[in-house]
Amino acid sequence: MCGIAGVVRGLPGRPVETPALLRMAAALRHRGPDGYGLASGSGVGLVSARLAIVDLVQGWQPMRSSAGSVLVYNGEVYNHVELRRELERQGKRFATGTDTEVVHAMLDRDGLGALTALNGQFALALWEPRARRLTLVRDRFGVRPLHYALRPDGDLVFGSEPEALFASGEVEAAPDPHGLDDVFTTWGPRPPRSAFRGVQQIPPGGVLVWERGVVVHEGWWWQPDVGPDSGTADPHDLGDLLRSSVALRLRADVKVGTYLSGGLDSSLLTALAREVAGPDLQTFSIAFDSAEYDESAEQRRVATALGTQHHVLQIGPADIAAGFRDAVQHAGAPFVRTGPVCMAQLAAFAREHGITVVATGEGADELFWGYDLFKEVVARRAFLSDPEDGSAFDDLYPHLGHRARGPGWRHAFAAAGAADDPLFSHQVRIRATSAVTALYSKDVAAELVGNSSVQRLRGSLPVPFEHWTDLERATWLELHTLLEPYLLAAQGDRAAMAHGVEGRYPFLDHRVFEYAMRLPPVHKLHGNRDKAVLRDLAAGLVPHEIANRRKQPYRVPEVAPFFAKGAPDWVEDCLTPDSLRAAGIFDPDRVSALLGRCREGRAVGQREAMAFVGVLSTQVWSEHYLGASASRHAQETSRPRVFLALDDERVEATG
Amino acid sequence: MTTIDPAVGVREQMRAFVRDSFLYLRPELELHDGDDLLALGVIDSLGFVELVEQVEKRLGCRVREADITEENFGSIDAMVAYVSARGGG
Repeated sequence: MCGIAGVVRGLPGRPVETPALLRMAAALRHRGPDGYGLASGSGVGLVSARLAIVDLVQGWQPMRSSAGSVLVYNGEVYNHVELRRELERQGKRFATGTDTEVVHAMLDRDGLGALTALNGQFALALWEPRARRLTLVRDRFGVRPLHYALRPDGDLVFGSEPEALFASGEVEAAPDPHGLDDVFTTWGPRPPRSAFRGVQQIPPGGVLVWERGVVVHEGWWWQPDVGPDSGTADPHDLGDLLRSSVALRLRADVKVGTYLSGGLDSSLLTALAREVAGPDLQTFSIAFDSAEYDESAEQRRVATALGTQHHVLQIGPADIAAGFRDAVQHAGAPFVRTGPVCMAQLAAFAREHGITVVATGEGADELFWGYDLFKEVVARRAFLSDPEDGSAFDDLYPHLGHRARGPGWRHAFAAAGAADDPLFSHQVRIRATSAVTALYSKDVAAELVGNSSVQRLRGSLPVPFEHWTDLERATWLELHTLLEPYLLAAQGDRAAMAHGVEGRYPFLDHRVFEYAMRLPPVHKLHGNRDKAVLRDLAAGLVPHEIANRRKQPYRVPEVAPFFAKGAPDWVEDCLTPDSLRAAGIFDPDRVSALLGRCREGRAVGQREAMAFVGVLSTQVWSEHYLGASASRHAQETSRPRVFLALDDERVEATG
Repeated sequence: MTTIDPAVGVREQMRAFVRDSFLYLRPELELHDGDDLLALGVIDSLGFVELVEQVEKRLGCRVREADITEENFGSIDAMVAYVSARGGG
C-alpha cells in the first residue's frame, strides 16, 4: 500500500522540478510511511511513498522494467503468486518478491489486457518514455484512489490524493459546486468528479491514456454487471469462494487483523480469517459511550467464540469532535456523517498495536442486499401496488416505535419519488440528504441550476438500467453512489491511510461479486431476511444470535459532540457568518436556524444531523484546502530510497 | 425539545412546530395551513413521525395506528382538526 503521484508534460523541454516532487512526496507520506522514491526525466517526474507489506526489503518504486517502462503502483494484487509462476514458466526472471514487479511484467507483456487477470485493489501509473505515454488505471471497485488534473497546456498532474496535486504547485485548489452537490445528495463526489474544480478521479474500473499532451483513451476496463442471468449460481458455493478470497487477502509479509463491528459481515469474515491465521488473529472494534450506538457486547461474544486477540477502542463525544478536522482533511471532501472520524481513529488504534493491514466487511451489504434500503424498495413497491397492504413496512424500523406505522406513515415513505422514477429506490435517502442544499449560497445554487447531482445521476444511468429490477437498479446505484464515493473513500481508504493502515475487502473480490450477481434473488433477500446466503454460511461459524442478528446500521453520534461542554473552540469559529461567507458554499442567514437548533440540542432528526455535519465539514474542508498555496506544502527532507534518472539508464539506490 | 404550553392555541403551536422544525430547510417556501406537507417536501417519512410525536404531546396520549393518516397529519389544518376532535385543542 502506498501513495503515488507525478507530473508529465506535453512538451518534454520543460522540466519537472525536484522540489515539486519532494512536496508531492511529503503530501503522501502518511500513505507510505516506510519511505519514498522518485523518478525524474525530461518533462516527467514520478513519486512513490511506500507502506511495505510484500517483500519488505526490496520493491521500492518507481520501478523500471527491462522493457524501459516505469511504474508507480499503489495497492495489492493478491494472486501475484500464481501470476508470477505463470510468467516464470515463460522464462521471466524477477528481481524482487513484490506484486508490483509481477503487475509491471504483465503490463509490459499484455498491455491493458493484463488487467482482467489481476485480483486485487490497486491504482497505478505506467510511464512509457519512448511514446511519452502515461497510463492511469484504477481497480474494479475503486478501493484505491487516483486523482488527476489535465492542464490547459496538456500537462497532466496526478496523485493518490488531491493534496499531492496541490503540493505540485501546478494545480490550484478551488471548490467544484457539482462535486460538493454530490456530497449533499448521495454522500460523496462521484467519479470522475471530485470536490475540487478541475481535479478528476479515474472511475472504478477506469483507465486513462495520455500521450504527449493529449488524452488518447478514456474508458473502463471493467464495469459491474448487476443484471446478468441470475439463478445460475449455487448458494452452496459461497463458502469455498469466500474462503479463497479471505485467504488471498491474508497474504502479506506483515500481520493482518480484522475490524469486528459485531454484525454479520465482519463476524463471518473474522471467522474465515481465523481459520487461516489461527489464534494470533487480532480483531479491532469500536465501543461507544452511548448505549444507542454501542455494539461491544456482540463484538466480545464473537471474539470470545472465535478466540481472537481482541482490542476495543472506546470512543466518546469528545473523541469525535477532536478527530473531526483530521478526518475531513484526509477525506479531501466534506461528508455528511461522522463515521469517517471513528474509522480513522480505529485505524490509528490498529497501527498502535502493530497492525498495518486489516480485512473488513465492506461490500457485503451491496452484493447481498443487506441495507434497509433494499427492503424499503420492496415494501414501497408493494404498497404502491396495493395500498391496503402495508404490512411489509411495519417491521422495517422498529426503533421508531408505534409512530412509524399506520397508513399515513406508509404513504409518506412510499411516496418519496414517483413509482416510475429510475431512482425510485434511492429517493428516500436522496431527499433526506439533500435537504441541506436549500441552504446553499446564491452563487452555488445558481451554478447548479439545470445540472444538479440528481440530474447528472439520471444522465449517467447505463443503457440496460431500464430492464433491471428494482433491486438490481438499487445495487447499481449503491455501487456508484455510496460504495466508492463514500464507504471506500472518506470512510475507507482515506480514513485508514491517514494512519498508514491498508484496508482489504474480501467481499469485493470480483469473483464474489460476479457470483453474488448470479445468485437467485431469494438467497439474498427473502421477505425481511436479508443476506440470506451469508446467514446460512455464518450459521455454522459464528454464534447463533450473530448469524441471525438484524442489520444494525453503523451509526455514530453526529451533532451533540460539537456542542457538548468542552467542545473545541474551532467549531464555533468556523461557523460564524464571516467564516461561512468566506467559504462561500452556504448562506449564513439560511444556515443560522439549523445552527440554532443544533446548539439548543433540538436537531435530533437524521436530516438535520446530515445537514449539520455537511456544513461543518465543508467549513473545515474549505479552510484547509482553499486558497492554500503550494508554498504551504513542506518538502520531504529524508533521502529517497530510490531515484531513477529517466534520461539515462542509471538507477540510484540511495536508501 | 419543543415544550407544550396549554395556553397557546393548537394552531399557533402546530405552526410554530412546523416552522421551527422543518421550514428553515425550505427558506423560499411560503406555507399555508392547508398546504400538503408531504407533497411540498416540507416533511419526509421521518418528519411524519415527528409530527405524530408532537400531536401526542399536545394530546397527552398515544395516537392510534389507524389514526396515523394523511387526513389527520397531512397539513397544519389537518392536525388542528384532529387534535380538536380528540379534545386536545
